[in-house]
Amino acid sequence: MWMKEYFQLQIKILNRRMIDFGLPILIGYAILPFVFVLLSNYLFEKIEFANYVYGLVALIFVSKLSEPKRNDFLKSIFNTYNYKKLRILENIIYCLPFTLFLIYKKQFVFSILFNLSVISTMLFNFCTNLNAVIPTPFGKKPFEFTEGFRKSFYVFPIAYFLTYISVSVGNFNLGIFSMLLIGIICFSYYSKIENDYFVWNYNLSPKKFLLEKTKTCVLFFTILILPIIITLGFSFINQIDILIVFILLCYAYLTTIIFAKYSSFPNEMSISQGILIGLSLVFPPILILFIPLFYSQSIKKLNTILND
Amino acid sequence: MIKTEKLSKFYGKKQVLNTIDLEFKKGKIYGIVGENGAGKTTLFRCLSGLENYKGTITSDYTKLKDHLGLLLTEPFFFSKITGKEYIRLLANARQMKLTNIEEKNIFDLPLNQYASTYSTGMKKKLALTAILLQQNDIFILDEPFNGVDIQSNLVITEIIKKFKKLEKTVIISSHIFSTLSDICDEIYLMKNGEIIKKVEQVDFVKLENEMKEFTIGNRIDKLELK
Repeated sequence: MWMKEYFQLQIKILNRRMIDFGLPILIGYAILPFVFVLLSNYLFEKIEFANYVYGLVALIFVSKLSEPKRNDFLKSIFNTYNYKKLRILENIIYCLPFTLFLIYKKQFVFSILFNLSVISTMLFNFCTNLNAVIPTPFGKKPFEFTEGFRKSFYVFPIAYFLTYISVSVGNFNLGIFSMLLIGIICFSYYSKIENDYFVWNYNLSPKKFLLEKTKTCVLFFTILILPIIITLGFSFINQIDILIVFILLCYAYLTTIIFAKYSSFPNEMSISQGILIGLSLVFPPILILFIPLFYSQSIKKLNTILND
Repeated sequence: MIKTEKLSKFYGKKQVLNTIDLEFKKGKIYGIVGENGAGKTTLFRCLSGLENYKGTITSDYTKLKDHLGLLLTEPFFFSKITGKEYIRLLANARQMKLTNIEEKNIFDLPLNQYASTYSTGMKKKLALTAILLQQNDIFILDEPFNGVDIQSNLVITEIIKKFKKLEKTVIISSHIFSTLSDICDEIYLMKNGEIIKKVEQVDFVKLENEMKEFTIGNRIDKLELK
């Protein structure tokens, strides 16, 4: 009975999140499995050892359930036996779509191993908030890069290592991928809107505010990709034009996400904005339309708070 | 000077502020008291421009918010930002270059730790330090004494007194009446989104007694405690 109530509550939370995101519940339940299958298929088509990547993604996804504060709360309301039962079931349910897809792909042994590791994650309470302060070169201009760098610092050595491999095996595309990887990470720094207090504090006009944000982002992103640009620029001098195009594309996408973020201020980005950004990823020239659109919407929204 | 005329605020159909007329003068300390949900925080958010409203708010400044230090009841902190970076963020927002932040750390906060790991009182002290260093002319302090230790409460009280000498305007809300009566020139009593009483220093004791009478009344008897 208590378990049924618990999971009913989880469904309610999920439904509310979809509504907050601007996604009608029925459409959400219809679209999400479709998108999931589409992305899973894409992954298995494009990557040689897709099942490992897939398993890793699922484990990262399920590790969110092992967040200490959440588990402390659950432990405080359920006895040890019920807590363990709940966590095992919860982990299995969360990973069910991944398991079903692995079975569909005839990865039977892997899906069993995968489920065993998913269950074992129940034993750990992952500490997502390490208190040790990670040094950052961006501390003088908080907050997006300061906070973002600390959350994703481990990605940068990986990206630089990929650049090194790209040069040693003569694979220019891998080098571009390493730069895009940093681009995606920096893109994620701007995906969530900050508390309105931090925007309110600025004594800048909306125009100047957006300009400052964009300037800082472009500068800090350039600092992060500089080792990659230099390495690729020297090693693949013939393809420098392609490199420049990709750098400019990264700048354009970062500008887009900044403008998109403030275009629905003080709320989170809506589903329609998400769709427009998704569209631009498929067809980049459309950014010529979207950047001014998001910019004008941002100015309008920021005017309510910055032009008192 | 800040003046509100017929200031009203609705959340949907619910009216949370009802035609408020107030005037806050330079060099004076104002207290706002009222039960939870009386509309104090909404009033502060409207004054600072964080909320839209009906009516008018006028001031001596073209852009009031650029001269205003706002301390929220529950200040928000990013997860991976240190105390020092938080202070710098708020200073940068006002185009200020801060030097020797450690020396200005009057509450002895661990500025090199993540602010999100601070205790409630420490968070409040950090948020207060950040707005103090912004060198504002007007301060709106929503529950500045909540969760703060007694020593820091004394420091905050002295800072507010210093502001009065510096001809700054301070508007404070607090549930600790004795502190308010120590430092305020005027206290406004809010109820259901309205200012129901304006009290000057000479009548503070009377107001406190009235509030006790009104707030406690025979409520405790209803519990039938044995």
